[in-house]
Amino acid sequence: MHSPMEQFEIKRLLSLKIGGLDASYTNSALWMTIAVILATVVFVVGMRQRALVPGRLQSVAELGYEFIAGMVRDNVGNAGKQYFPFILTLFVFILFCNVLGMVPYSFTPTSHIVVTFAMAAVVFLGVTVIGFVRHGAHFLSLFVPKGVPFVLLLLLVPIEIISYFIRPFSLSIRLFANMLAGHTMLKVFGGFVVMLGVLGGWAPLAFIVAFTGLELLIAFLQAYVFAILTCLYLNDAIHLHH
Amino acid sequence: MRTPAYRAFAACLVALAAGSPAYAAGGMPQLDFRDFAPQLVWLAIAFAVLYLVMSRIAVPAIADTLDKRQAKIQGDLDAAEKANDATRSLVTAYEKRLADAREEARRLQRERAEADSAETTARLTALGERLGAEITAAEKRIAGQRTQVLAGLEQMAGEVAQDVYAKLAGQPADKGALGAKIADAVKGSSR
Repeated sequence: MHSPMEQFEIKRLLSLKIGGLDASYTNSALWMTIAVILATVVFVVGMRQRALVPGRLQSVAELGYEFIAGMVRDNVGNAGKQYFPFILTLFVFILFCNVLGMVPYSFTPTSHIVVTFAMAAVVFLGVTVIGFVRHGAHFLSLFVPKGVPFVLLLLLVPIEIISYFIRPFSLSIRLFANMLAGHTMLKVFGGFVVMLGVLGGWAPLAFIVAFTGLELLIAFLQAYVFAILTCLYLNDAIHLHH
Repeated sequence: MRTPAYRAFAACLVALAAGSPAYAAGGMPQLDFRDFAPQLVWLAIAFAVLYLVMSRIAVPAIADTLDKRQAKIQGDLDAAEKANDATRSLVTAYEKRLADAREEARRLQRERAEADSAETTARLTALGERLGAEITAAEKRIAGQRTQVLAGLEQMAGEVAQDVYAKLAGQPADKGALGAKIADAVKGSSR
């Protein structure tokens, strides 16, 4: 009986070292590559004809584009246009990694905290830099809620600061934990199927079937949540709204 | 969804607090620090490649296609609107011509009717005149004949009167006196 954690193990497929840095090509890198290739197939090969009446693949590409374009427009406004390609990439990359993770025997790169934290940290640092570049020191007013008595500010400002710095953690752990919990759950119930055998294994098997549907929803939902929170953080930095 | 998140977070914290690589390796592969570098390197590569593909190729292509489609739809709508307007003006022109033609037809009919009635009047007048002339001529003729007849009658009455007088008186009558009386009688009876 394998441990349910075994599916998350990083396996080095090709050992590489760049100046003392371990840059081995792992199973994680392999599935990232597959995700990038599939996303390229949908968004570049699908758009190759640039048909006025889109085919199936082009419809998918346009749907994804308009979904994220609408999200950026609604949550950030016109100023968000220049960051749209980044948010689209973020959404598509996470979505493809998550969904590909549902393929049996595959690997889910987003089930590793280091991957999700790296993306969340880039978002966090990027948003902070954008805020300071756009507003200078005035960006710090983000931590001071408007129309609040001074005494309450003493309490609220530290809370605002803490909640701001918690952002990369909540953003990365939400995605990582969802992927981790879902895949672990599937593995555990898969183990139950084997344990209970032909007689009793049907119940956990039925559960797995239903749960796989839920996991596909979560795979999409977490990509969506990551993208929309990035939009909201970006909106904070650009408009200083609160 | 939040509960497993915090449970996993707690697990991370516990593992980090334990600080032993052996524990991390045995528990969660996610906490094996030796695997961080290769994942980060390839995450950066994969993400950068996808970002370039998206921002350089996919986004311009899709934006261009959507713009073109929007322009095409707008153009088609405009053309349809224009065609609609043209049709409407054609229909208006057609209706105007129809009304004009109807008006013209009515006018012609009226003129025709007027011309017809004038001709009829003229013909009736001519007929009346002719008939009048004929009547006058007939009256003249009748008057002439009557005069003639009356003259004949006078003479005949004179002769008859002479004969009657001669028979009754046994002598010839005075022609002059008898003639005057007869003429008076004829005139009186002819009146």
